[in-house]
Amino acid sequence: MITKEQVNSFIEKIPPEPKVLNETFALLRVGELLKAAKVAENDLALKAYLKNIVNKPIYGFKNEVSDISQIFGILGVSLSQQNVYNYMISLLSPKKWTLFKLNSHLFYELQANLSKKWQIILEHLNIENKEIYAAVSLLPASIIVTEALFNQKIDDVNLLRSTKALDYNTILVRLCGIDLFDICEQIAKKWEMDENIYKIVQAASGVKPSDDEKINMLAKWMHLLLFYELSNPHFIEAGLNDFVDFQVDYISDIYDEFSSLMEIE
Amino acid sequence: MKAALKDGIATFSPQGFLDGNNANAYLSIEDVEAASNLKADIILVSLKRVVFFNRNGLDIFIKLFSKIRKKNSATVGFCDYDQNKYAAIMRFYKDDINFSLFKTLEIAYLFSSSYKNQNKTILVHSDDKSQRSAIAIELHDNGHSPTIAKSLEEYNEKKSAFEYVIDSTFLGQMGQKVATRVSGNAIIYTITSFLDVEISNNFNIEYHNNSLNVGFRLFIFDAYKVISMNVHALNFFSKLSTSAAEYNATICFVGMKFDKTSASFKENMEDAGILFYNHMDDILQNKELLKELGASSAANIKNKRVLNKQNVTELPKFINAAAVTIEMMTNTKAIKESASVQNLIIYKKEGKIASSIGYYGDIDGMVILVFPSAIAKKACELLIGEDTNDIDMILDTLAELVNIVGGKIKSLLADEEISVNITLPRTYQDIDSLLEVVENRKGVQVELSFNDDKFLFFLTR
Repeated sequence: MITKEQVNSFIEKIPPEPKVLNETFALLRVGELLKAAKVAENDLALKAYLKNIVNKPIYGFKNEVSDISQIFGILGVSLSQQNVYNYMISLLSPKKWTLFKLNSHLFYELQANLSKKWQIILEHLNIENKEIYAAVSLLPASIIVTEALFNQKIDDVNLLRSTKALDYNTILVRLCGIDLFDICEQIAKKWEMDENIYKIVQAASGVKPSDDEKINMLAKWMHLLLFYELSNPHFIEAGLNDFVDFQVDYISDIYDEFSSLMEIE
Repeated sequence: MKAALKDGIATFSPQGFLDGNNANAYLSIEDVEAASNLKADIILVSLKRVVFFNRNGLDIFIKLFSKIRKKNSATVGFCDYDQNKYAAIMRFYKDDINFSLFKTLEIAYLFSSSYKNQNKTILVHSDDKSQRSAIAIELHDNGHSPTIAKSLEEYNEKKSAFEYVIDSTFLGQMGQKVATRVSGNAIIYTITSFLDVEISNNFNIEYHNNSLNVGFRLFIFDAYKVISMNVHALNFFSKLSTSAAEYNATICFVGMKFDKTSASFKENMEDAGILFYNHMDDILQNKELLKELGASSAANIKNKRVLNKQNVTELPKFINAAAVTIEMMTNTKAIKESASVQNLIIYKKEGKIASSIGYYGDIDGMVILVFPSAIAKKACELLIGEDTNDIDMILDTLAELVNIVGGKIKSLLADEEISVNITLPRTYQDIDSLLEVVENRKGVQVELSFNDDKFLFFLTR
């Protein structure tokens, strides 16, 4: 159905990090928000993306924010970096989704929701590390990878899943010995993301806990956040709710704190 | 969300959070329609990966359950929950539970019609005495040997001596499906109370056809608890008997009294070939009679049916369905080596296992797949997730695999507007038991190789 060669070919085709983004990140890392905004202005698609994201209701701005320097100024270094990463990941998303009933609007919505709620979680946990803020950006890459690898195999997958409730991650591991989150790590390495980013995302798969206690704790929050978002009716209807398995036991020790933070009743 | 179907149970598996805002998204009307069309005995929502639910969310499912029940009389409810979730559901609905709760999916399988999940020893415990009895009766009707533990202490003390233990399980309105069990080579259906036009909805005709296709020849209706029947039920049983005759199968009624049913009905049923006995043991303990009725062997077809042109025309599709499925499961390429019309011939029987699946509708027949154990194991690895030598697990998974082949056949034929249904799959641990079923039946035998391993495909009627 899917071979190791196809997976390797997908990884090879991931484009290098665009030059403008590379420069933007370099400036963001040293806290040069204005200079970073000036460089980012040159990428019109990035500008349109950021404008779209920060004006979503979840960010709660009363007036439309359209200028990049204004956007970076409001978001600050960590969230600006997080959103530029979100944009990078969105570059991998297909023009037309076929496996999942998604479109760019809905995908950006998912990115925005995850990012904003991840910020709430990190503030609650008193974490300020900007790379950890950015980690959540890599998470939706797993959805893009699933779409890319399985979109030609919809009938086969449906037939398989009509007999046994297997998630895409498990199918991929059993066929190729590599999982969706390994591929996310490959993307992160190719784009020279900080290693904490992919370590958290790997553990957030819920099936590969980290030995590092801090990373593991953050991964639990991320895993639960993912399924909190994927329980949104739009994402359930898009077919995302069961694309990977939710590991209830993995998050059991942080569930009460999470539900209180998200005001779940 | 689509349901996964196994052993007569369709299961939906939502993940995460479940409330009044999103329950409709998990289970749309179309999903429910599709699940109803699967003709499952039981339709369940698994709560295994649900971390939060509230009453509003469950209420939406329960409304859908009610629609399903009205449409196809299936048992509906929830499964895979822990003690906290069970207590929450009981608290939400208190005395108004008309759906069922099965602690695990494995427990639910004990209440469905499936050959392999029968004759189990089961210890049952419930604080509610009427529930204890209801569970025990249902299990008994499905061919198991239930024992009731009268107290929690007794339950904990005896647990280890039983194959299955059941607690935290609640039978709401059970489906009206006719309970089925297997005794030796006979299939026993339990029918009760008033039999009317509903019998055609409540009787699992797929299971019955499957049983005929895989070689069962004796069907006994346990009718001790039948009060009366009307002309619609009479017609139903007469037709069932007539169609069974094509397979040289026999239909018997045991314990049926005709004090509230017209005696002429009995004559009509006898004319249709139905036999009547007073007690079950009159049949099951009489070896001579069993032999005469066709239950001494898994296959006893006098009227062998030949492969017809329709089946041969569609043969490439059948081969394609099998090859593509095994290619998908093994990630290897299939090469067709030879094909011929003949009786099934397997030169080396050792180290091989087999499975079969029937199809019926616009055309009918049976596909048999014979695997060297190594290919079977390889093909099942995707479904099992590990290398195993547990033969029961491999056979169980092989049944799932052949079910996928059946599904593929169904969809390939549907592309040409040929409508068929598929039967439940059957597996054979040894080749002799397969040969007994297809003895002297001509078919098309095709040999395929996967990475130099030989695999055999046989299509017959």
